Amino acid sequence: MSSTIGSEPLDAHSEAFLHEAAASKFDFHSVSVKAAGDERLKTAINNAVLKQYTARQLRLLDLPDADRLRTLAGDIKQHALDYLDYYLVQLQQNVRKNGGHLHFACSGDEAKQIILDIAKNANCKSVIKSKSMVSEEIELVHTFEANGINVVETDLGEFIIQIGKDKPSHLVAPIVHKDRQSCGRLFSEYFGTPYTDDPQALTMQARKHMRDRFRTADMGMTGGNFLVAETGQVCVVENEGNARHSVTSPRVLVSLVGIEKVVPRLVDLAVMLKLLARSATGQPFTVYTNIFGGPRKPGQKDGPEEFHIVLLDNGRSEILAGEYRETLRCIRCGACLNACPVYRKIGGHAYGSVYPGPIGALITPLFQGLGNFKDLPQASSLCGACYEACPVKINIPQHLINMRRDIVNSHLNGFLERAIYRLWAWSLKSPLLYKLGSIMQKWELRRRAKKTGWVKKMPMVGSGWTQIRDMPAPARKTFHQMWAKRDHRN
Amino acid sequence: MSESDTVLDRVRRALGRTGPLLKPPTPPAIDEPITRLVHTDIGLPELFARRAEEMKMHVDAVHPEELFGGLVEFLKANACHSLVLTDSPLLERLRLAEQLNAKGFEARRWSEITLDGLYQFDCGITDVTYAAAETGSLVIRSSAAHGPAVSLVPPIHVAILEPKNFLPDLVDLFERLKTDADPASVVMITGPSKTSDIEMNLVVGVHGPCKVQLFILQ
Repeated sequence: MSSTIGSEPLDAHSEAFLHEAAASKFDFHSVSVKAAGDERLKTAINNAVLKQYTARQLRLLDLPDADRLRTLAGDIKQHALDYLDYYLVQLQQNVRKNGGHLHFACSGDEAKQIILDIAKNANCKSVIKSKSMVSEEIELVHTFEANGINVVETDLGEFIIQIGKDKPSHLVAPIVHKDRQSCGRLFSEYFGTPYTDDPQALTMQARKHMRDRFRTADMGMTGGNFLVAETGQVCVVENEGNARHSVTSPRVLVSLVGIEKVVPRLVDLAVMLKLLARSATGQPFTVYTNIFGGPRKPGQKDGPEEFHIVLLDNGRSEILAGEYRETLRCIRCGACLNACPVYRKIGGHAYGSVYPGPIGALITPLFQGLGNFKDLPQASSLCGACYEACPVKINIPQHLINMRRDIVNSHLNGFLERAIYRLWAWSLKSPLLYKLGSIMQKWELRRRAKKTGWVKKMPMVGSGWTQIRDMPAPARKTFHQMWAKRDHRN
Repeated sequence: MSESDTVLDRVRRALGRTGPLLKPPTPPAIDEPITRLVHTDIGLPELFARRAEEMKMHVDAVHPEELFGGLVEFLKANACHSLVLTDSPLLERLRLAEQLNAKGFEARRWSEITLDGLYQFDCGITDVTYAAAETGSLVIRSSAAHGPAVSLVPPIHVAILEPKNFLPDLVDLFERLKTDADPASVVMITGPSKTSDIEMNLVVGVHGPCKVQLFILQ
């Protein structure tokens, strides 16, 4: 373990990562090298994700046939995507029947405008917001803040992200890159209280701070894990109870959800929920499962008076049209992150997107353009651990390979890489050139390995290879030569 | 063209359709042998109690005549003085509000207080709509008589369950919720509020109750 960074907080480099990630040309290589070199960050992330990963393995054993249940869950989500037009209309009709409002938003900006208008029309000054990845995707919190609406992230991890002006680095454990000391310092600064890094004490501080906000907020915001077409309801799962406050106390409730979250039937939730918590944190079930839709009924004293669902497209319909439709099955459980040897080494910020890990390496280029994130599909050893972990069986490695093909087809790989492969293909077509090339290559490599028997350094493009590994010297005779001179007696 | 047409149009185009789909599609069948974890109606309260305890709720199985004594003991042990009860037929039948007031507690019905006032109470006492044995979950359908805030805002939640509440599996629960008239808000409660956000340390009692006590009537 490196001792030079021992005195720094765990998240010392977060700001630099985020800054680089936000740059117009995102350089995954340099950010990931830095992240992987941070031993403490790596250890912290490893510990956290391994804990969830092991719990997941154990909890899947509760199920009679986890593999086939994952197939069924994948089939249900795939069916909903294949008939998304039908289910969106059905959802819309049922939301209206329940007395709610359903809005469609093509882009993040449109969604933000719709939500701002709802807030303004209902004269909402304060918002309690529960954790949702889609709100991170469109940076909703900034919009509220810029328009003078007081917004508080009520999930403990997201609250720490908000007061630290940070970004989440994991789909379900947003502050996996922070240690208790960082959290303690943030709380002490924000609340002006004496420093403590005891998680229990910090949590109680947050509880105390939030209670008044829950009581007085005008508007509640949630995301949605699932939308049930046949009943017009939203399903939100959580452990803390903050989302429950969002749907219980404020007079206005807005759920911002991606269009791909629809499932046809209420009973589909049985399949999904049996897999979701087990895959995410290794719990058999989350503490709170909120299923809601529509305003409060006459005589009710809790629940919203006004209910809205904002359905976000923001590039999803384009993904739906192409060969990557299956990626929209994702239920954001984070199991592929926990399973991924690359994520475990570099953490979430290095991906330069709110969606990190294997699924992030796929959907970030799909959402934000392959040109900006052409290194992400390479950030995988294609070991298949993500596919094995996925509760809806998205074939992530296959899609990553397909995306690498897209990179080549659209000439996004470098000129040098293209030239080398063309040269190679050319030489493979001619036996003479091939023979000549292999003789020259052997001669050069043996020359470089003369002293130690190992090739330790190669020039130009080859230097990337030898930067992190040595190569044994090639044999004196090639296989072809040996074959030609072999003993024919057998 | 309204906004709704635009996103729906894009989705239709993406799926290669020119107009609305008229015939409802058939979703994959729920394959019960691989989905179901609980296949029997027998012993549900016991299974439920085991699961609920695994999820860090306290469970006492009591005969109706023992309930009041056990409840008073629990409330005293946890320094609960002010109590809110949902206006539920079960709690009325058990005459809990009257008895608790007579015992010196300050017990109010949900119909007698405001949502704002609820923040001052020590404990919420409720019944449940269903209890899912598979997961040990309390299921509460919100109504005027049963505000879900009662099991959310006070720091301690006491729930009283009766034999007719129990359902075996989540499959049964969602099928039942589907056939219930008009879809109300539903919450499933499976333990006290908790978080593991800071270095994966489990802390119980974040934004919801820090203690959930269940009395199962035999």
